[in-house]
Amino acid sequence: MSAAIGEHPHSPATLAGAVAAGRMSGRLWLYANYHCNLACTYCLTESAPGVPRRLLGGDRMRALADEAATLGFTAIGVTGGEPFLLPDLPEVVADLAARLPVVVLSNATLFTPALVERLRPWADLPVTVQVSLDRPDPVDNDAMRGPHNFRKVVEGVPLLVEAGIRVRVATTLELDEIGPEPTADQERLCVLHRALGVADEDHVIRPIVRRGRAATQGLGVVAARDDLEPELTVTADGAFWSPFAPTVTGGRLDIDLLVSRSTTPLELPVSRMLGFLEGRSPGHDTTLGIR
Amino acid sequence: MSRIALLTAPEAPFGLADLYADGDPGPIVAALAHIPELAEVTLPFLGAVLGPSAVGLRTKEIVILRSSAMLGCRYCVDAHTVVARDASLSVDEVRALRGEGDVAAAFAEDRERALIAWVDAVAVGPGDPPAAVAAAMAERYADADLVELTLLVGTTVMLNRFATCLRLPTGEQTRSRLDAEGWS
Ligand code: SF4
Repeated sequence: MSAAIGEHPHSPATLAGAVAAGRMSGRLWLYANYHCNLACTYCLTESAPGVPRRLLGGDRMRALADEAATLGFTAIGVTGGEPFLLPDLPEVVADLAARLPVVVLSNATLFTPALVERLRPWADLPVTVQVSLDRPDPVDNDAMRGPHNFRKVVEGVPLLVEAGIRVRVATTLELDEIGPEPTADQERLCVLHRALGVADEDHVIRPIVRRGRAATQGLGVVAARDDLEPELTVTADGAFWSPFAPTVTGGRLDIDLLVSRSTTPLELPVSRMLGFLEGRSPGHDTTLGIR
Repeated sequence: MSRIALLTAPEAPFGLADLYADGDPGPIVAALAHIPELAEVTLPFLGAVLGPSAVGLRTKEIVILRSSAMLGCRYCVDAHTVVARDASLSVDEVRALRGEGDVAAAFAEDRERALIAWVDAVAVGPGDPPAAVAAAMAERYADADLVELTLLVGTTVMLNRFATCLRLPTGEQTRSRLDAEGWS
């Protein structure tokens, strides 16, 4: 209960108040898993097929969504790893969306007609699939993300759109490639996403963050805690400041942005997060636009 | 070699930054930092139980060093050999508490010998301490002291097992003090 949160010594404020004041995102992120069918050069979590999976589990995700709705969160994000590697994801996300609107992040390489058929119920639910697409050409795009990635994305996205599921496209670039005016490549990428059925307001461009494999590869921008929007993020290993926080470097989980190891009850990390946010001015936000 | 990663300042959770403000906070903090919400309650607790209090520093160091020796905790024996010397326990007293000398010969005061017997019984158990040991304590210490000293033994035992089983390394400063003063 949000009133109870206010009684904790860490947090005179409530979650709803912090969200309304712009101090904290209303979205609770859930790291469904850490494994992935790809191994992108800038991956924050060093994801790849053989890494430890660190599964959150469907039942835990449902329980977290229940708590999140009660505490005053307004949305849920599901990320990984590649969440669509989880066999029960279609049903789990449908259950989450019965509680709060959900955005699911994906590399969009697994959307076979059979899988999309199982996702059809999402069309009637507040579910958005956010897919990664960085470059308008297969060669450039696949250099960072692996062979055939581009082709699979441009084949998969229209299947989702045709099934009536909302799709967003996220483009991840080096910070110096993101200017006030789109580059020629970015213009071409916009032409492409429109052709795939994704509207301009559903296209986001964000910088590579120098954590995880990106740090090892010397890619991306260094982001301190205050460069990252406060968005409570729950993983199998604990609760973190932002979805950019529970990264893996050299095979080891980074805990520099850990809020608490314990995530039960969810009120515990929420309360600690509010405590950390105290003193930040309303609307205090990232300087790098990392979201 | 420690069984766990001892977190350095850049690796530790941001909420614990104050603990690292003056440099290396030592292995107990660097270990507890893995769980910030526990570190935040455990460290003040340890500070309150082990730090200055109504029971004098000398008495506390007798308890801590003796418990640590009884539990065979190399880390705590090393650390508290140095602290006990700073709390003006003599070399002979420290040797006796470490199990390397005769307690009766090193400690002239009846009260302190009763305390050491109590510590031995509480630290390793099992069960209720022998009646004679308990009676000797009750004669010489007020209830409040008995509570505090017994809590101190229990807390030290907790730390002994924590440090031993996680194989926490003796800090460099402690190591050089021990070497300089001829402790093995
Ligand atoms: S960035 Fe995404 S798609 Fe690429 S390896 Fe990491 S989790 Fe997989």
